[in-house]
Amino acid sequence: MEIEKGKTAKWLKEQRPVPKEVTGKLKEFTKIKKGILNALKEGDKTIPELAKILDMPQDEVVFQLMSLLKYGFVETGEMDDMDEYFYYKIKNNGKN
Amino acid sequence: MQQENRKLNFDVLVVGGGIAGGESALNLANLGYKVLLVEKELSIGGKMILLSKVFPTLDCAACITTPKVSEIARHPNITIFTGAEAKNITKKGEHQFEAVVLKKPRYVVVEDCTGCQLCEEACPVSVTDEYQYGLAGRKAAFIPFSIASPRAAAIDIENCILCGACERACPTNCIDFTQTEEEVLVKIKSVVVATGFNLFDPLKIPRYNYGKAKNIITSMQMERQLAPTRPYNTILRPGDGKMPDNIAYVLCTGSRDKSIGNPICSQICCMYSIKQAQLLMGALPMADVTIYYLHIRAFGKGFNEFYAQAQDMGVEFVKGKVGKITEKENGNLMLRYEDIEAGVVKEAEHDMVVLSVGVLPNMEISESFKTEKLALDPFNFVNQSDVLASPAKTSIEGVFVAGTASGPMDIPDSILSGGAASAETTSYLRRASL
Repeated sequence: MEIEKGKTAKWLKEQRPVPKEVTGKLKEFTKIKKGILNALKEGDKTIPELAKILDMPQDEVVFQLMSLLKYGFVETGEMDDMDEYFYYKIKNNGKN
Repeated sequence: MQQENRKLNFDVLVVGGGIAGGESALNLANLGYKVLLVEKELSIGGKMILLSKVFPTLDCAACITTPKVSEIARHPNITIFTGAEAKNITKKGEHQFEAVVLKKPRYVVVEDCTGCQLCEEACPVSVTDEYQYGLAGRKAAFIPFSIASPRAAAIDIENCILCGACERACPTNCIDFTQTEEEVLVKIKSVVVATGFNLFDPLKIPRYNYGKAKNIITSMQMERQLAPTRPYNTILRPGDGKMPDNIAYVLCTGSRDKSIGNPICSQICCMYSIKQAQLLMGALPMADVTIYYLHIRAFGKGFNEFYAQAQDMGVEFVKGKVGKITEKENGNLMLRYEDIEAGVVKEAEHDMVVLSVGVLPNMEISESFKTEKLALDPFNFVNQSDVLASPAKTSIEGVFVAGTASGPMDIPDSILSGGAASAETTSYLRRASL
């Protein structure tokens, strides 16, 4: 049977299911992404501020925020008064 | 998965597409030999393509690697298999080798991919980016890094949710989830082993607390932070995003240390740490950088001057052996070390620590040789059977070694070694036609 170009992912999904932990990881990322972007919609924030609002370890905020920076959802703002932390702000209202 | 079988003929199989393998392949191809370059990663360029700058000239590593990589990629006499491994290499006779090359599916037709990144944008998945050494994320449909060669997308099938968003976004219809693993039988006349090295994993030294204390990173992670294609907006502590201002380097992490099974010097750590210290002084003008060392080995051309330059710039050098690193509540790190000159144990606080990890052998390739054994040296690098007279020669006639597969060495020496391997391969091949 000829598999239609552009629909091969659907074909592979029919051959084998997607493992639960893979979909679970996506759900978690989507939740964190929403949390970070919603917090930034309220105003620019530093990493410690985001960690406090989201109740997340700071190192995890660094990882996720830097990923969102790379994906184009977030951009870098000014430095804080102590010259320690950057503020990060939402880009294009959270749409990349 | 289904397996397809193909048969191909080449003059030389080069295993490893780093700077040494690339140099060998290019020289051989320029002499008219047909070369198959097999690379296990999704891009050629090895570790060098991911570096920031090189010592002692501070030239941009990517600016040296990319033209070379592009020349290799476009050479009519070089065929490149990325995402592939040479599994079974058998010697049938002089100038007669056979190899089974396992090609893993990329799920993208490389020739049709324009590198537009629309699939990357459409992919909803985010996982740890191995090319940023875990510092940030990447998508499951992704281009490994911006200067990758081929600059084509790949699908990380392990983390893909098969939603099809990438396929719908792709303007050239080059994504193909029907691709399967392929075994290719190749006939060659000689082999160049350029499989490079592994970096020491500092998790093997629990007293340094790497992995637990988030502001301790490896030198390769710092290399990524200093590179133009860096993971962060600037140099930051991965633990909390603070800009560091007091950075320590711990030399000989995983080198010259019998307790972790690697008694030899890695040859590059002193110099790359001095290089990074200089780059950090430029990137963070207010920062203090301290290097804890046993001996500074600045033996190459221009190396000692480079060391002196770092001292003049204000990098502090402490002759000291670090015993233990502990984390404070604010994420800062306490280094307990033996001040070798004063003969006392001291403690110092830093806000970021870089572990200058050493060079370990990549032994895997020796298992691929089935008929004759590819001998390893006492430290498990590929043994050079005639190191003085014929440094690329291995225990198998017709199999040559290039670059760090034979032992720790820096970039210029790797390129020289790649050149030597190609010359010795040529001389072996020419003997066939005499």
